[in-house]
Amino acid sequence: MIGRHFRFAGLLGVAVAAFALVPRLGGDYAIGVALNLLMWIALTQSWVVLSAMTGYVSLGHAVFFGAGAYVMVLCFGSLPFWLSVIVAGAATGALALAVGYPCLRVRGPYFVILTFGLAELVKFVVINIEAGLGQFGRLLFGGPGLAQIFYVVLVLAALSVAVTWFVRRSRFGRGLRAIRENEEAAETLGIDVARFKVLAFALSAIVPGMVGAAMVLRTTYFEPLDLFNPITSFTIVSIAIIGGGDDVPGPIYGAFFLVLMQELLWANWPEVYMILLGGLLVAFVLGVPDGIHGRVAAWRRSRR
Amino acid sequence: MIDLFSGQLLIAALVLAAIYGLVALGLNLIYGTMRLLNVAHGEILMLGGYLAYWTFTLTGVGPVWSMFLALALAGAFGAAVYRTLCRRVLRSSRLIEQIEANSLLLLFGVSIILQNAVALSFTATARAYPYLDDIVRIGTFQVTADRLVVLGIGLALSLAAILFFRLSATGLQIRALIQQPDAALLVGVDVERMRLIAFSLGFAIAGVAGCLISMLEQVSPFMGFPFTIAAFVVIILGGLGNLAGGLAGALVLAAIEVYGVALTTASMRSILIYGVFIAVLVWRPQGLFGGRSLVR
Repeated sequence: MIGRHFRFAGLLGVAVAAFALVPRLGGDYAIGVALNLLMWIALTQSWVVLSAMTGYVSLGHAVFFGAGAYVMVLCFGSLPFWLSVIVAGAATGALALAVGYPCLRVRGPYFVILTFGLAELVKFVVINIEAGLGQFGRLLFGGPGLAQIFYVVLVLAALSVAVTWFVRRSRFGRGLRAIRENEEAAETLGIDVARFKVLAFALSAIVPGMVGAAMVLRTTYFEPLDLFNPITSFTIVSIAIIGGGDDVPGPIYGAFFLVLMQELLWANWPEVYMILLGGLLVAFVLGVPDGIHGRVAAWRRSRR
Repeated sequence: MIDLFSGQLLIAALVLAAIYGLVALGLNLIYGTMRLLNVAHGEILMLGGYLAYWTFTLTGVGPVWSMFLALALAGAFGAAVYRTLCRRVLRSSRLIEQIEANSLLLLFGVSIILQNAVALSFTATARAYPYLDDIVRIGTFQVTADRLVVLGIGLALSLAAILFFRLSATGLQIRALIQQPDAALLVGVDVERMRLIAFSLGFAIAGVAGCLISMLEQVSPFMGFPFTIAAFVVIILGGLGNLAGGLAGALVLAAIEVYGVALTTASMRSILIYGVFIAVLVWRPQGLFGGRSLVR
């Protein structure tokens, strides 16, 4: 049992060290691709903690990404970069705690559309606040360089991978998965269902907030429509479904697959890319419900 | 100061209510009969809008006629989607909650495909066409003729739907399926056939609603989702699976939207819709008129 944790820590350390070499060896393009990959891994791992483990599928994870970015914009210039990132994570965690209790009473598909509606509501509220302040998009000059953002997102990706790993193997994680299988039964067994769900929601909101805060400085431009884009939420869900499962490997497989597709298609054929992504989601839900991770695991079992 | 009692606002609210009522009717029908939340509903509406736009632009035939084409095509498309995708989910999954979550992701994928396929074919530019835009004076207020036509057709279709579900054998069987699925099966309702009909009918109504909306608003590939959300608000207000309650819900939402925007600014419109949506889901998921609850 302990050996497994050591092996995981070793693998994670090797992966982080390998990624840390990218800014030293590669150019801006390589850093950009690796940054993109790490961002999606971080976002999807945090989604897994809530949605794959409890079965409460969130289609509004972009709300935390966008809210974190907005906190960074508001702190920009008055706080150091790293401190703003932490403040953003604390703020989105608090946001999740505040809205979590009423939202998580709503179940199944209603929860799914509720999260989507919530993300849209926050987006329009931010747009209106910005319009009220007389701001229409903000320029953020003098922020950290690409390599610095990369290292921050690398740390966040490692953090979110570790959170998924330990939650999945903890008492708390067993409780969450019991809620997914049968909420009433879980409650009868003494699991504090409401508290577990809200904690998972808050836990899954912190990393996206910090990632959003770091990523907004990459473009040096803040535009609410881009940062609260529902496509972000949709992409997270697609990565998780394509990758499959409620553990660490799924989002990593899914993110590699998606970033490859993005590199090939996004720049020249964005609509074709979105159509393919939608098609893949349909195909995986219907044909491969356990995702790439499930297929790989089945293949490895069959070789033994 | 705005005159809240003006006929102008009243007409605007009624027209919007007729549209919302129609969009929500289709969504409610599909939800009621098979517990599928059709998030691609707004995209069917968008396709109906494009059909009306192109028919008018290319042949000069107005939406009042292309509506029938939309009815047939959207109905056929609905039957195809049900046969190829939804029936497999309904069969394969074990738990009812899993069916709901899976079908939602499935239909979400379909809606992304439709949006981007239309954007790829016709570009993302919003399009509009002039049709029946001369002004009609009734008493002291003025209204464009297209709004009156939309209101008339919307009311006629809603009335026809209510009669269909009260009087025809098929309509009664579908209602039986909505109210008591197991009992309906026991008394010999052909569940599979009724589901197919309900699905196809739901899509057909959405296609017609799209034609009507294209007379008043610009069509664009991404116009559908706000209507899907509005339709969700309406059916939750009126009670899930309660077809007549939906019409009352449509009036409530349309009034909130029209008078809310009149009291504030146009930029508040999205906040109002999504705000009502969340408030209703969180605080009153059983609807205004009672009925089944979504919360334990």
